[in-house]
Amino acid sequence: MKDDSALRRWFVEEVLPFEPDIERFLARHCRVRDDVVDLRQEVYEHALMGAQRGIPQSTRAFVFTVARNLLIDRARRDRIVSFDRVADLDLVGEMDISATDRAYTAREELRRAMIGLERLPPRCREVVRLRRVEGLNIRETAERLGVGHHTVERQLTLGLRALANFMLGGEGRIERQTPKKLRRKDAP
Amino acid sequence: MTAARQIEHRAATWLVRREQPDWSAEDEAALQAWLNESLAHKAALWRLERGWEAADRLAALRSDRTVRLRVSLWRGPAIRALAACVALALTGTLIARSDSIVPRAVEPVGLTTQIGQHRQVRLDDGSLVTINTASALRAVVDKRQRQVWLDRGEAFFEVAHDPRHPFVILAGDRKVTVLGTRFSVRRDGETVTVSVVEGRVRLEDAQGGGKGAAAIMTAGDVAVSQGRSTLLADRSSRQIEDALSWRRGMLSFDKVTLADAAAEFNRYNRRQIRVADPKAAAIRIGGTFEATNVEAFARLLRSAFGLQVVEEEGVITVKS
Repeated sequence: MKDDSALRRWFVEEVLPFEPDIERFLARHCRVRDDVVDLRQEVYEHALMGAQRGIPQSTRAFVFTVARNLLIDRARRDRIVSFDRVADLDLVGEMDISATDRAYTAREELRRAMIGLERLPPRCREVVRLRRVEGLNIRETAERLGVGHHTVERQLTLGLRALANFMLGGEGRIERQTPKKLRRKDAP
Repeated sequence: MTAARQIEHRAATWLVRREQPDWSAEDEAALQAWLNESLAHKAALWRLERGWEAADRLAALRSDRTVRLRVSLWRGPAIRALAACVALALTGTLIARSDSIVPRAVEPVGLTTQIGQHRQVRLDDGSLVTINTASALRAVVDKRQRQVWLDRGEAFFEVAHDPRHPFVILAGDRKVTVLGTRFSVRRDGETVTVSVVEGRVRLEDAQGGGKGAAAIMTAGDVAVSQGRSTLLADRSSRQIEDALSWRRGMLSFDKVTLADAAAEFNRYNRRQIRVADPKAAAIRIGGTFEATNVEAFARLLRSAFGLQVVEEEGVITVKS
């Protein structure tokens, strides 16, 4: 097993704080919201690939270059995109990155978490609250609410995604769909 | 479902299971194997792990909490970092589905709270009631009817959707009929204040039948009734959120006078704040405070506003 701790630290501390900016940048160049999430994940994957060979000097410039190259590749595959759009992408260096101070204090983080929790649908909120605030595990939560283990796990998984997304500066929306088929061998 | 979302869902499932007591060495090995399959898996898991850890601050809300105070003065351009996030998410109504959470039975009896206490109760129909400080209500919720009497104080209702059995709240001579989901009712003697966060409610005379006496309120509306008169005001959902922050054990003020803030604190504490002169009473303050930490609030008035604070048994006097 390789030791990923340096790579992980770089990704968490240097890349993730730019998530709202990366999403805004990608959204400017593609209209479908689903595509933005896919592209964002692709940007992360390529960024990690590059950083495995050596942590870049300037994370911001590096990550946005990765994003730009991905968009150009996509534009080449998608014949519909006009050339000015591609030319536009060269301006990435001049991009206005919102210079907000992203270091949340513990208190702001708590407030944000409380707001994120409030935004979840009621059933999901209750399950996440019991896990995160009261510290109950799935079995205890299922007993407390009188529902099945599977229901609690599903709500908790949805809630985890939405709340994590919100804590990283996103909308904190619930992703309703779940994969239709989990192949048996992958299922933990 | 796109590939990225599928990976994210899988990563979230791993994280949920890893926190469970039955997580084994085999599970851990399987997780590592999955992570080593691709950097996309690592990116997804590390990202969710980070966001979920950040939300771990919520554990601070477990029963006894110490949240640091902060005050923002409104003299300068004080901008709340989070103001933008306080937009209310409109969650859908609770739709009973086959896998819906079955509420625990609650006896239709009186529910009361002491000063400084607040509690959540789930009624038999699945509705959730959060009861504020020093309040008393009675509820009868069964197959045939859903009715609550608010005798004093304040409660926030998240009502389970059931169009065939309207949810009715009686507060003094006001009757509130729920057509939507989330709102609060507050009763100070004969004054009844209804704030709607989401959905619609109908406010009318408890005797009913009065023509034109009903007001339909929607999200963002606040109605204050006294006796026969009702004032309908439109408040931003931000202000409503502030007014309802007691549900989290916190009080939020946005440019309110010290007189009003003190009155609000006094609802939660035996130790009362008295503002001695009009000049001090008119100072406007903002910030988020622990509802039951009146001493910390007083200290802050001393240090941030240079007011004189005299602490005695049962009363704290504030003056210019």
